[in-house]
Amino acid sequence: MSNDDHGATLDAITRLLASGLETQVEPFPPTEKEFAEILRELRGLAPDDLKSKLIISGFKDHPHGPDNASCADCIYFLANRKWCDLPELAVPVEPDWYCRLWRV
Amino acid sequence: MANLIWLQGGACSGNTMSFLNAEEPSVCDLVTDFGINVLWHPSLGMELGDRLRDLLRALVAEEIPLDIFVLEGTVIRAPNGTGEWNRFAGRPMMQWVQELAAKANYTMAIGDCATWGGIPATAPNPTDSIGLQFLKREQGGFLGKDYRSRAGLPVINVPGCPAHPDWITQMLVALATGRGADLSLDDLQRPKTFFSTFTQTGCTRSMHFSYKVSATEFGQRKGCLFYDLGCRGPMTHSPCNRILWNRHSSKTRVGMPCLGCTEPEFPFFDLAPGTVFKTQTVMGVPRSLPTGVEKVGYVKMLAVSKAAAPRWVEDDIFVV
Repeated sequence: MSNDDHGATLDAITRLLASGLETQVEPFPPTEKEFAEILRELRGLAPDDLKSKLIISGFKDHPHGPDNASCADCIYFLANRKWCDLPELAVPVEPDWYCRLWRV
Repeated sequence: MANLIWLQGGACSGNTMSFLNAEEPSVCDLVTDFGINVLWHPSLGMELGDRLRDLLRALVAEEIPLDIFVLEGTVIRAPNGTGEWNRFAGRPMMQWVQELAAKANYTMAIGDCATWGGIPATAPNPTDSIGLQFLKREQGGFLGKDYRSRAGLPVINVPGCPAHPDWITQMLVALATGRGADLSLDDLQRPKTFFSTFTQTGCTRSMHFSYKVSATEFGQRKGCLFYDLGCRGPMTHSPCNRILWNRHSSKTRVGMPCLGCTEPEFPFFDLAPGTVFKTQTVMGVPRSLPTGVEKVGYVKMLAVSKAAAPRWVEDDIFVV
């Protein structure tokens, strides 16, 4: 993704989340089995269907839960690139965002 | 000369293939330079039929001294504890194993099947397979936990699927040249010289482990294989990244997660669908953490490491 595309997609996600987009933050997938089911759903989406991607993966524009889990802690987050490296997501993200595919 | 006999129980011959590919030292070196007399081996033995049976009988009767007894593969006890499903030289092989182990100066279990039971002993274990002195992590196995060879050692376990060629031949040299008493074994009776370090020790992706940058797909030219792809390198005792395979590589060096094959639990999770090449988690945290690391410490370390990660660690590093 080019720098321009990265910035534009980041802006688009920011706007969607700020507008109060309802996403499936719960339930959190307790094991690999449920995690894999969410990934399967994501793989079925059209490549440009950003909104559904955010909804299914339960995106939030702030940390989540008692431990304040966020992208910053997640193994899929590339801090310098501000990028989620989970292939099924592959979107720019901010470190203080969160989704239910969070893993450490 | 040190007389050696090698039998193969419930196995795929993988350890024999490994053994025959040894280089430091090679199988020929064992014979020409280190005085090992290979009385019989499934791929090298010249004796067949009655002559093989006579050889085995002579060893059991101590007409020929047995210095090193090697077993590759499980001891098969089915059906109903008779061992009849694996007959060898006229009788259940498990009877030969019992009698040869009683006469041997040293007994070695080579590969996972002979050490812990390995894949044949995975549930439902239809052949009632068992390792020589262990079944998975439980000590005992076929010979019982109190078994000692004539030199006073328990079964020397050299696990792996397969064991690295040099682990096998270097151990044989140690035994054949009278250095058996110098061996130091761990709780699972593995030689410490090979099994004190981890697969991760020497892994070329260890900087990605340190900075918590994950490989998320096969074929990526960056990233640690532990976080997402099920690599067991941080909790598996082996020298796979110190004593390289084919002298120049290892699983993790070519982007293949370690399967933990030198540990008694291998194959992990009984090979249930979805458990291979996928890190198993509970509420987002790996079910198996690096050896000695607690969950709280792991999470703290992760946050700090990610915050400190340099830009280059996120880019492809293993480029052509």
